[in-house]
Amino acid sequence: MSSPKDLQPQTKPRRTRVEDALNANVWDVDGSPHIQVDTSKCVTCKTRPCIVLCPADTFVILDGKILHSYEGCLECGTCRVLCPEKAITWKYPLSGRGVQYRF
Amino acid sequence: MNVLNSSEAHDECFMQSRTPATTFDALVVGGGPAGLSCSYTLAKKGYRVAVLERGRTPGTKNLFGGRVYSSPLERVYGSLKDAPVERWVKHERISMMDDDGAFSVGYDSAVSTSFTTYLSKLVAWMASKAEAEGVTIVTDVRVDEVVMENGKAVGVLAGGDRIDSDVVVVAEGVNRLLCERMQVVPPLSPGQVALGARQVIKIGAEKINERFGLAGDEGLAWFFLGRPSGYLPGGGFLYTSSSTVSLGLVLYLQEGMSVSSKHVFEILEDFRNSPPIGQLLSGGSVVEYGSHLIPEAGLKMSPSRLYGDGFVIVGDAAGLVLNLGYTVRGVDFAVHSGYLAAQAISDAHSSGSFASENLATYGNKLKESFVIREMRRHNAIRKLMNKKHVFDVYPRVMVDAARRLYEFDETSPKFLEVGRRSMKGKRSPLGMLNDLLLLARGP
Repeated sequence: MSSPKDLQPQTKPRRTRVEDALNANVWDVDGSPHIQVDTSKCVTCKTRPCIVLCPADTFVILDGKILHSYEGCLECGTCRVLCPEKAITWKYPLSGRGVQYRF
Repeated sequence: MNVLNSSEAHDECFMQSRTPATTFDALVVGGGPAGLSCSYTLAKKGYRVAVLERGRTPGTKNLFGGRVYSSPLERVYGSLKDAPVERWVKHERISMMDDDGAFSVGYDSAVSTSFTTYLSKLVAWMASKAEAEGVTIVTDVRVDEVVMENGKAVGVLAGGDRIDSDVVVVAEGVNRLLCERMQVVPPLSPGQVALGARQVIKIGAEKINERFGLAGDEGLAWFFLGRPSGYLPGGGFLYTSSSTVSLGLVLYLQEGMSVSSKHVFEILEDFRNSPPIGQLLSGGSVVEYGSHLIPEAGLKMSPSRLYGDGFVIVGDAAGLVLNLGYTVRGVDFAVHSGYLAAQAISDAHSSGSFASENLATYGNKLKESFVIREMRRHNAIRKLMNKKHVFDVYPRVMVDAARRLYEFDETSPKFLEVGRRSMKGKRSPLGMLNDLLLLARGP
């Protein structure tokens, strides 16, 4: 006997990748980074919360080292607040650059 | 920069009282809801006001969930007829979600006291109102410092330029870099804020009305507990706009930091694809993805004083947000704080100086207003908000209980049996009683 669950239409999850979601935004990327990360301090960081909590996924681990890119930054300030090593120098972009929210 | 825009309603007496170096009666840092309501109110009283905004146009750096309570805006602007209202919220829903289902409660009404909007659009509208009253809004300007002389704010530094003012309104938002530099607040800590991440999904007005059971410009505000935040302290939200839907999650940073192993965007994607959200939003396309921090520590994160010699602090920078679990207030608080700051600045001007003791009326007015009263009244809810079981155990138990009640073969269970079985090993009756008491007792 089939359970009611089996009778439900199977909706196939259509996942968006974070880069595609970011590409939906309007950008005017600054020529120089508004956020600087002293990645030498990341070496001893055990928790590295920036990796999963930066909503724009701007922090990645490559060969055990943390790499940061500022271009897709949503300017929320999460990394500044949570960095356990105080490795981040955080400013807003100059001249109205960066993400241009429309909604 | 043309700073000598003449305002017809300009107060002559006030001009005479200015020192020659002063260009503006008031300088507002940040063209968001708080800064713009303050500048509009001041300009209406005849003061010469400049707003310094870091965005390209007002609104381009603003983001929130999706709902505003209208009364404080109406107090400042009168009619909201030409405001960018998306929909009037007449349907409320709150759902507990686990991986397989949801238990929901709803409220439907013909009356509405709040509307859905996009903050970028609302702020642009507020800026147009301010400009119409003669406020000078300078965009593309990042203010780096509030200049302090002998403990008194005398102006700001922006891009190496110094702009003087008798009084500075700090409306810089939740990332209060200026306040930190002025040493009126310590640096933000993860325990004080939540991360909000939001997708705007285009579906079309007709489909939204069909799928969410809405008529005309009726809106829905929907809160979620459990799965949407990955069972971490926080939650999910969905707001219907005219032809788009805002879907997002809120994650308390302190708890998220120590527990989360999944990327926040993936948690949001899990939510978007979970039943029934997946079906409701199917075929929609993401037209924007954004994030913003939310002040969550209430008065605990407010500066010890919201004013000082030559300055006042308004809106998010002052920590004026209240998350009640079933709704959130922030933009209305910001608007009202800006409005009260403008009254206080005007009063201080009448008293002859912007010294701290004269600007103290801002602090007093805010304390007497619904803003601080609301935040005090609901202080207890914050104590529940950082308890992990509230967001993990309770949603799972509720959905499990509903599952036992609704899904049976031949014999339906009794209420008490359901409660006992669903709660078994999850949380003791004493623990639950404790949580209830905490809510009931108040601050």
